[in-house]
Amino acid sequence: MDRKKYELLWKLEGLHTVETAAEKLGITRQATLNLLCRLKKEQHVTVSGGGRIKRIYKITIRKQLPRVPGMFDIINKYSPHMKLNPWYDHQVHGRYGPEEALIDAIQTENFRVILASLHLFKHIKNWPRLYRMAKEKNCWQKVGALYDVARLFMRVHQIGSRYLKVITKKWVALTQLRKKNFPEIAGRWKVYIPFNEHDMVEL
Amino acid sequence: MITLPDQEQLFKIISRNLSSDVTTYAFGGTAMMFYGYKGETKDIDLFFEDESQRKPLIQAIESMGYAEFSPLRIYIPEKLRDPHRPKMFKRDDERFDLFVKKIFKTVMSQRMKDDVYAVHEFKENKRLTVKVLRTEIIVMLKAVTERDKDFEDILTIIKKDKNFNWDYFLDEVVWQSQNGDSWVALDTEKMMKELQEYVFIPEKHFKRVHGAV
Repeated sequence: MDRKKYELLWKLEGLHTVETAAEKLGITRQATLNLLCRLKKEQHVTVSGGGRIKRIYKITIRKQLPRVPGMFDIINKYSPHMKLNPWYDHQVHGRYGPEEALIDAIQTENFRVILASLHLFKHIKNWPRLYRMAKEKNCWQKVGALYDVARLFMRVHQIGSRYLKVITKKWVALTQLRKKNFPEIAGRWKVYIPFNEHDMVEL
Repeated sequence: MITLPDQEQLFKIISRNLSSDVTTYAFGGTAMMFYGYKGETKDIDLFFEDESQRKPLIQAIESMGYAEFSPLRIYIPEKLRDPHRPKMFKRDDERFDLFVKKIFKTVMSQRMKDDVYAVHEFKENKRLTVKVLRTEIIVMLKAVTERDKDFEDILTIIKKDKNFNWDYFLDEVVWQSQNGDSWVALDTEKMMKELQEYVFIPEKHFKRVHGAV
């Protein structure tokens, strides 16, 4: 990277509209647009907004590489109100849908991630696949409990009764909180359910 | 040399050849490519928590034609005597440096494992999970490995990362020093002195490193 370009990017790094970028550089609006277009081609700029929403340019010194969706992207796509701010960049190169995202969400043992992932139950089409993956990770008990909680608050596809047999006697926790909210479901699946009815309002 | 798309393709092929799921940590040029700091690298540096994770990956790359070779002339002699030197595999221009348990004397702290920048999962037959370490950790490990171009890479990171967290970096150096890594503080001090010719480093940071030696 040549020095001139580096200094330009150093000056501009951050979020900008055309006007703020033009003001910072002391050039015209059209010259700024041309510059941003060139930087976008070089992968230093990504744009959000457009149409009736003001365009925001995210400018970075390092290149902004194209992404493939991961757990946070899938959860945010299907969760209409409760969105997650990812604390690391999760990307999966290969088959990845709501089934995989739900299993990964449970593995995080994070309260908000698991709560937001309840919406994924509405989009699960391949129950045998989910069951197989959950068995591999030894978390079907948790999936079953979350499914029953999700059914209380949203319309969810019905799961085959053969999947709903509970054979374990050992209690497991979804997060560090060991609370028996929704006592009937918690007792049936032997899973500590950390969220209560008030938390479901966030969904 | 290997580019990012090639590297992603390579990881996909490896995940197809794996006999079990593998989790690894990327640092060095591999990690820098995931960040977008550089477009290509000649070595793929990976760290494994134990041999059971490294073995399936070695089997997979050997089946793809990679052959083990000696790290002579790549690392300085003191590092070559270390029992935790990497196993190295090569095919054409691409090279794998595979570390297990330790990167020479540097251990993987819990904070390193928890504060990853990105997680890339490659899913074909099996799952290859590549966790990309934070820039501060990459800089520290590059200071430790001391190969050709390692300093260039450090300079690239420091120049391009406005938010490089010196306190986080030095906390880790001090922790490593207190937990058995006798080289890290010396290597870091040497690197910071070289770096001082290009970027401003406050004296207080040097004092912390001197305290750790």
